[in-house]
Amino acid sequence: MRYILLLTRGEWQESGTPQEQGEVFGRIGEWFAKLRADGTITEAQQLQAPGTATTVVLDHGASTLIDRPLLEAKEAIGGYAVIDVPDLDAALVVARSFPVPDGKVEVRPAVER
Amino acid sequence: MLEALARWPARGIPDRPGAWLLTTARHKAIDRLRRDQRYAAKVAQLAALPESAEREPDDRLRLMFTCCHPALERDAQVALTLRAVVGLTTGEIARAFLIPEPTLAKRLTRAKQKITTARIPYRTPEPGELAQRLDPVLRVIYLVFNEGYLATAGERSLRRELADDAEWLAGMLVRWLPDQPEPLGLLALIRLHLARWDARLDGNGNLVLLADQDRGRWDQVRIRSGVALIERAAAMGRLGPFQVEAAITALHDEAPSWEATDWPQLLQLYTLLEGVDPSPVVKLNRAIVVAEVAGPAEGLARVEALADELGRYYLFHATRAALLRRLGRDEDAHRADAQALGGTQNPAERALIQRRLASPEPHPGARDGRADL
Repeated sequence: MRYILLLTRGEWQESGTPQEQGEVFGRIGEWFAKLRADGTITEAQQLQAPGTATTVVLDHGASTLIDRPLLEAKEAIGGYAVIDVPDLDAALVVARSFPVPDGKVEVRPAVER
Repeated sequence: MLEALARWPARGIPDRPGAWLLTTARHKAIDRLRRDQRYAAKVAQLAALPESAEREPDDRLRLMFTCCHPALERDAQVALTLRAVVGLTTGEIARAFLIPEPTLAKRLTRAKQKITTARIPYRTPEPGELAQRLDPVLRVIYLVFNEGYLATAGERSLRRELADDAEWLAGMLVRWLPDQPEPLGLLALIRLHLARWDARLDGNGNLVLLADQDRGRWDQVRIRSGVALIERAAAMGRLGPFQVEAAITALHDEAPSWEATDWPQLLQLYTLLEGVDPSPVVKLNRAIVVAEVAGPAEGLARVEALADELGRYYLFHATRAALLRRLGRDEDAHRADAQALGGTQNPAERALIQRRLASPEPHPGARDGRADL
């Protein structure tokens, strides 16, 4: 079953020194490489900083643009990964293993077609 | 402190273990006959197996762990367990927790949908997962027990069948996890409370406070069984809140009277409990014991220090009222009792507080606001 892990940006991305951040990004890179190699992660993307986001609001034929991300800065999504695992418990194990000092991972099942 | 817990149960070892084991078995057999039809088959299965061989969890256990999955919020866990494992109707659960039935139905529907859609697995946890998975199950079983022991609301103050269900579920956990001390602690706690059941209501159906109960009516078989369970748990050397709470209950159960209760020992156990569960309610109960050891003024000071955290909790006000009355501050006590009355819907508890409000003399046993400490 496929789950999407929505990865928030943690406090560490705002407050850490470049060297500390570099170390965390290094661990994240290894995590992605390992889980891609064993087939757990089928797809993943890292997103540019929230400041680069544009939100399109659709309203019955009209549309307006908002020059900021959908979610507040502290909950801003920093990336996502699609994983293929047997059940929620297995998905939660993957989510818990995301190697960051702080942050949130939303685990959402994909609609199976 | 740990030493105190390890040492005291020695006094509780039964003189003739064989005899009381047999009696317990007979009582259990009768319990089983009385039990609702829907469990009959499962119970027969369990009864047919020797205790140590029952490592294979049955469907109800799987269901229990699924309902109490940590990906579900606590309220949903309790509601699902009561609906799916205990078999209460949506209406009964809604009434028990004072929420409109459609609200509860919605909560159940959402939880069931999440179990299916997010594929929460229908299984018992692996040994490595137990640390995270056991606690919610223990807490929910205890909540089911508490709801039976003193219903939140409804016409009936006590619901024995719910309390029995909780005992049965805790027993099932113990059979499945004989090497885990906290399920033993929970089962002991439930048995030690059930032991007082018959003495908790007087002939008119009024709730009798622990201090005033006829201890001759307490079920000694259950008390000894509970104490033996604590001994088994304590021997594992991994202390937890249910074991300590069971030890506290056992100390009351073994005391010949309220006055002869080993208050200093009890205070030590509460200090221990506060260490593993530093909740305001534990602090409130500890304050009651402080009042017995160091006097009502000292106890009242501890209670009033909890006003910010427990100001909306009726037992906070009832406890304050009882201590104020002992200090001769009757007007303040009256006001506190009135506040307590506003906070509970349990008919027997309301009647108890109302009797206290109605009588100019202090209720003889109203040393604490609770039916049981």
